[in-house]
Amino acid sequence: MHTDPSLTPEEIRAMVRPDSVHRRAYADPQIFDLEMQRIYGRQWIYLAHESQLKKPGAFFRTRLAQYEVIVTRHTDDKVYVLHNRCPHRGARICMTDSGTSRLLNCPYHAWSFNPDGTLSTVPHRESYPASFDMTDPKYHMERVPHVETYRGFIFATLNPDPRPLLDQIGPMTDIIDNLIDRAPDGEVEIADSSFSLVYKGNWKLHLENAADIFHPTFVHASSVGAARRTPAGKSKMDQDQVRTMLEANGFGKDQWEGIQLKGLANGHTYMTNFYRKGVVAHQAADPVFDRYKAALVAAHGPDKADAVLAVDRFNNIIYPNLVFNAQHQQMRVTVPLSHDTTIIRVHCFRLKGAPDEMFHRAIRFLSTLASPASMIFSDDVEMLERTQAGLDLDPSPWVDFSRGLDTETAGEGGQISGVASEMPMRNQFKAWAALMAGEAA
Amino acid sequence: MIDLETRARVQDFLFEEARRLDAGEFEAWLDLYEEDGIYWMPSQRGQTDPLNVASIIYEDHAILSIRVQRLLEARALVLTPMPYTTHLVTNVVVSMDEDGLVKAASAFLCISMQGGEQKIFAGRQTHTLAPAGDSYLIRHKRVDLVNAGSALPLMTIPI
Ligand code: FES
Ligand SMILES: [Fe+2]
Repeated sequence: MHTDPSLTPEEIRAMVRPDSVHRRAYADPQIFDLEMQRIYGRQWIYLAHESQLKKPGAFFRTRLAQYEVIVTRHTDDKVYVLHNRCPHRGARICMTDSGTSRLLNCPYHAWSFNPDGTLSTVPHRESYPASFDMTDPKYHMERVPHVETYRGFIFATLNPDPRPLLDQIGPMTDIIDNLIDRAPDGEVEIADSSFSLVYKGNWKLHLENAADIFHPTFVHASSVGAARRTPAGKSKMDQDQVRTMLEANGFGKDQWEGIQLKGLANGHTYMTNFYRKGVVAHQAADPVFDRYKAALVAAHGPDKADAVLAVDRFNNIIYPNLVFNAQHQQMRVTVPLSHDTTIIRVHCFRLKGAPDEMFHRAIRFLSTLASPASMIFSDDVEMLERTQAGLDLDPSPWVDFSRGLDTETAGEGGQISGVASEMPMRNQFKAWAALMAGEAA
Repeated sequence: MIDLETRARVQDFLFEEARRLDAGEFEAWLDLYEEDGIYWMPSQRGQTDPLNVASIIYEDHAILSIRVQRLLEARALVLTPMPYTTHLVTNVVVSMDEDGLVKAASAFLCISMQGGEQKIFAGRQTHTLAPAGDSYLIRHKRVDLVNAGSALPLMTIPI
């Protein structure tokens, strides 16, 4: 299935121009295989959060590049990432997304493994040859060589000789810090419930859409219109959270002016926020927020509490697979399956020490934005799928992202542009080309 | 003990709800809900908590009305071309709770068709119905998808 992609750095470079990219970047399975080797196979990739692995034996199943892996916590309290494949004859071992088990058991010939991947027992030991050494790593579940944690966020890489994690995600750790700082107890916990959405489109389309603030006015028009016609306070169940969220997706030129886009090294991008109304924006006369803020002030002091809450950045993209929204306690994970199939896993967080109602709002935000019946994301997904369908055809090979090319400026640590710019896509593809050509770590 | 007439009336009510959805009469569908009626489609099997656990849909009349307006406007991208459905409702079991409200548990199958693509949703639903005239209004409806908790396709017309 996986061809050996052999493209020269020049061929890769030729696919990305200052204002456009070749459609092969989305539509060519060979390019996808190369991405799995050189981006998802070589970069640090976020896999799980430590709160999903509270006790020894806890595990979480996900993907790393083209492999299914399980993230485990061993009895030594360390986190391991194991290929979900039996070293005996190759059977897939774990069939559930998460759980806790003292041993990982292969159902076929009943080899069983410890959470660190070492072989625990084999039935009928005497039938194996004398050379069969249970401590030999070739009989263990294969470990992913490097696992690092940044403040509870677990990253791993298949790269045998990776650069330090912080070299890659360094410019974006401030938004992870900001999420944690928002918890009065200084700790966050990922919610048990999350959504997994499959779409028929390339993984990059989601990241581009998350940095595209030009589209909501058009794509979300039907939800915005209906929300606008609904009087404030009509819904009794969520202090108008859903209505104001839908409404916030419609903005004209005036609201645009306030939004800024920022592109950093390594493909990271973010924008300033546009959810400015209602309970998601923490307005005055919000007793829940007042209680929350009091807890935060008690923990941090008033100055730091204000500084933490003032961070108002939306869709912080930690390239290549995380979209982070600290102020809404949300995170999306991009899981590429093939050049035209992607899973988006959407999570939200509990801020420890904050009133329960803050968590209820985060859950509500998650449902409104990312459920399969979402009145926002469903229209986005429709666009991603139509884009893929268009790019699978080849009347002309070039995909344009020239908007704003003449107006972006170099600022501190990266590019800055106004809201109507496609600078984030240019920034993502700059990193993409460097990684794909093998010119970066 | 539920008399036959009540059972027939409840069953007719459920069938009428399905008919309105299949006929695209979404405003009339919403009219079957009380002003404070709630529609709940949990994200997890056996979910008991709509606040601490995410839901596919957890909406009252006012938010459902936004959903319905979207359906009627048909400007929503996900609704072009407009999907249409066949809802089957079966295995209806009717009971009465302490407050005189009717509980109707049933199984459903919803086949939706859009742009040449057919999707199937199935599961069980529980209606809590308040008497209104010679029929009922929905106070609460819970929809449990058989595949809740797994990766799901987009859902446009409600169950
Ligand atoms: S394949 Fe796993 S024990 Fe044989
Ligand atoms: Fe969008």
